[in-house]
Amino acid sequence: MTLETLNLILLGGIVLGALYALMATGLALVWTTLGIFNFAHGTFIALGAYIAWQIASTEASGAGLLAGAAVSIIGMFVIGMLVYYLLIKPFERSPDIVVKSVITTLAGATILENVINLVWGPRNKQLSPLLGGDMSILGITISRNEMAVVALAIVILAALGVFLQRAPLGRAMRAVAQNREAAQLMGIDVERLYAIAFGLSAALAALAGILIGSIRFMNPSMGSDPLMKALIVVIFGGIARFTGPIYAAFIVGLLEAVMTYLVGLYWSPTVLFAIMIVVLVAKPEGLFGRYRKSV
Amino acid sequence: MTDTLLLDVRALDGGYEPLQIFRKIDLSLAQGASVGLFGPNGHGKTTFLRTLSGIIDPWDGDIFFDGVQLNRPGARGSRRWRNFNYDAITRRRMDPKAVARAGLIHVPQGNLLFPDMTVAETLSIAPYASRGRANAAETLDKVFRLFPRVHERLGHKIRFLSGGERQMVAIGVGLMAAPKLLILDEPTLGLSPKLRGELASAIQTIRGSGVPLIVVDQDIAFLEELIDTLYLFDHGRISRRIEKADMPTHEEIMKLMFGEDHH
Ligand SMILES: Nc1ncnc2c1ncn2[C@@H]1O[C@H](COP(=O)(O)OP(=O)(O)OP(=O)(O)O)[C@@H](O)[C@H]1O
Ligand SMILES: [Mg+2]
Repeated sequence: MTLETLNLILLGGIVLGALYALMATGLALVWTTLGIFNFAHGTFIALGAYIAWQIASTEASGAGLLAGAAVSIIGMFVIGMLVYYLLIKPFERSPDIVVKSVITTLAGATILENVINLVWGPRNKQLSPLLGGDMSILGITISRNEMAVVALAIVILAALGVFLQRAPLGRAMRAVAQNREAAQLMGIDVERLYAIAFGLSAALAALAGILIGSIRFMNPSMGSDPLMKALIVVIFGGIARFTGPIYAAFIVGLLEAVMTYLVGLYWSPTVLFAIMIVVLVAKPEGLFGRYRKSV
Repeated sequence: MTDTLLLDVRALDGGYEPLQIFRKIDLSLAQGASVGLFGPNGHGKTTFLRTLSGIIDPWDGDIFFDGVQLNRPGARGSRRWRNFNYDAITRRRMDPKAVARAGLIHVPQGNLLFPDMTVAETLSIAPYASRGRANAAETLDKVFRLFPRVHERLGHKIRFLSGGERQMVAIGVGLMAAPKLLILDEPTLGLSPKLRGELASAIQTIRGSGVPLIVVDQDIAFLEELIDTLYLFDHGRISRRIEKADMPTHEEIMKLMFGEDHH
């Protein structure tokens, strides 16, 4: 392996890691706040990418990528809140909401995916890159678009971290996640916070979708593989801390890039799952986990 | 009549579906007065208080607080089909955030608070409820004077606190919410005698600063010093209402509560 290939692998892993980090953090936000797993998250990714395409692409409205991203992210925030009110809230007080929400979010995923198919058709589409051209750092050439994707993901995640840590609304969200009843007794509007958490999560999914769409081709089921990876990342990293899934995302991204090089595209998920199982046997709460909200 | 009462609970029914825990509770609190609830374990005191603060819906009856009705009037509809999700088609009969924002603040029994947040963060959330009814910085100062230990532990996570410290933070959080009426559910449960004394005197101070209380405790002597009226809670009903003037001794209460039952 030459230095050149090693650098390429590392870079590919970092780009993957940044995308996984965005998706996994969105997933973990809903998981920690509501205590449920949103199987529609992958479809949120696809829907976000398609909405952005509809606004941005010259084949459609042609308003530019920035406008497309803005509409998509805001639109997905609203759609996320709607999905919460329609699919999650009716079961809010039922003791087995975890099981029921598996069915309802899977149903939501299927319905949304069919909507995408219906509206945009199964043909592959692509968003224009955020930045064109290549640049070179330390003698290796990398695409400026991929650099922008990584930088954007890191900035957004850092902002989200600060929001959860410092902003009153973010603190209230963490409080609800840790003790719903005590939060209610403090006058916090739990329902609204749940809706906001769902909306934020969907907006993060939209952003991930847009970034993926600027690197690869889009199709209606483009979110299902990233959803599985995000699930691995969340379980692998643990959700004790906001940063757990983020570190794990980069580890999984790098592992995937190395495995793809070493054992090929076909075997790399198998190796990844094997590693994950070993980690979970040794550290059931995840690699960076200590305490997990029991659901 | 209602406008002279701070809290007026009339014929309140409630429980955990489908099990009714308490029935026909009448309880009232004049402006500036405090009441105590006393009764055996498992007879529904906590359930009643959780209903008062809207955590669980009342089944029937009325709750007036500070001149407004907190629950939707009337009895809830019958829930004949056990397996039907009534939550999907019925609105909640009471809204806990509206209760807290009205100033009825409940410090629950054995409050675990937010295990992974620091004491400082936890105290910073409570003013959410008060919505500018009080000056947060001033109240925080008051909490620190009341509980110096809370001040010492500001940077610690809640789950690393001792039971007594956590109880102090819980009461501090209640104060941060600027209560017009503070509900304390067994505030001294499971604490050492020394800590009990410390907490009891802090609660005295809170009472002395003009915050009306509803206190549940198993220690009659402690209640006696705080309250104007004592309600005896027995199998989900109020079996007796005793004014401060004719407060019986502990033995007499024990006889009242258990004596007649043991023929
Ligand atoms: N979440 C729940 N679901 C169903 N039943 C419950 C629940 N919580 C409590 N109960 C039942 O309600 C009854 C009353 O409990 P509650 O906690 O109100 O009593 P309490 O008077 O506060 O007792 P203690 O003095 O021990 O605190 C008990 O029989 C208890 O088993
Ligand atoms: Mg109790």
